[in-house]
Amino acid sequence: MNLHTLNRSPADSRVYQQTLQAMGHDDQLLLIEDGVQGALPQLVRYFEDVEGRVYALKEDLEARGLLGLCADNVHVVDVDGFIELTEQADKTITWY
Amino acid sequence: MSKRGFAKEAEEEVRAMNDTQTDLQGDLLVILRHGPHGSSLLREGLDMALVAAAFGRRVSLLFMGTGCTALVSGQGQGPLGQKGTQATLNMLEMYDIETLLVESEAMHALGLKACDLSLPVIEVSPAQIQAAMTTHRLVATF
Amino acid sequence: MASSEIARYLSVAGQRVALDPEGYLVDLDQWSPEVAQALADEENLRLEPAHWEVIEVLRDFYQRFEQAPAMRPLVKAVGMSLGKDKASSIYLMKLFPGSPAKIGARLAGLPKPANCL
Repeated sequence: MNLHTLNRSPADSRVYQQTLQAMGHDDQLLLIEDGVQGALPQLVRYFEDVEGRVYALKEDLEARGLLGLCADNVHVVDVDGFIELTEQADKTITWY
Repeated sequence: MSKRGFAKEAEEEVRAMNDTQTDLQGDLLVILRHGPHGSSLLREGLDMALVAAAFGRRVSLLFMGTGCTALVSGQGQGPLGQKGTQATLNMLEMYDIETLLVESEAMHALGLKACDLSLPVIEVSPAQIQAAMTTHRLVATF
Repeated sequence: MASSEIARYLSVAGQRVALDPEGYLVDLDQWSPEVAQALADEENLRLEPAHWEVIEVLRDFYQRFEQAPAMRPLVKAVGMSLGKDKASSIYLMKLFPGSPAKIGARLAGLPKPANCL
């Protein structure tokens, strides 16, 4: 299992398409920095192919005032959770 | 296609590929997503690949998105004389970097064909891209 | 990469040849066989035909690829031009003791090879 991190908003950048193409069937996706916009209910649909495996970083959501607006099917993790995800993964692949 | 259908098809494709294309294994997969001249990312990615290969690592390159344009034939220097990347691409062979994968969908989206490119490539589907992520020990994106 | 910083000059047949802090030519066009021998003198090397043919391979490599090769591609290039027998790091080590890729590049008038320890 690989962990993919994405730091660009799907509303701004098509990098998310590359991320989705590269994700294996048990890989996980962590949205960070501007990527956390993808956790908004209107945008989370871009990630429906990997539903249930989408995480968003709490600190980045909080900083942007988006924590309360997050879609229900996105797992919110803090930095410790981020580290745990990287520990569970064979490798971490960054998309930017 | 339904999600489940897609995943199943992907798995089957991966299995088929594992049977036929064991040469996709390696120590490092460098993903290049940018063309020449617009940024330094292509050059940085190629540099990383060359360093690893100079130390005997088996390196594969995967060109994704607009990165596929990095391989188009007939590139030159920039309008202000900035160095191009063609010479570096030609040099890959000397570093035994011979597995050049290109994202099939991006090639299609850009209207490019393998014959437009300056080096021999293997066009890969999403399932093959996913497989390459697991058959290489390290993956770096540029 | 080629450095533009001049650390010292080498005097070869009345010509002043600028060298960077690591002893590589600052202006690659100033290279000549005489310059190569003068640089080799600093390494206590007398250039024999076996050296010259490798220097030729290095210069060809740079011409084609715009970079000086690291050790592995140098071995490969030597093999392709000069035959399999010479395609070994041991052979190149004997010709250019220490670091053949670096010393060879210096004598061939190339910039210092990147990707090379």
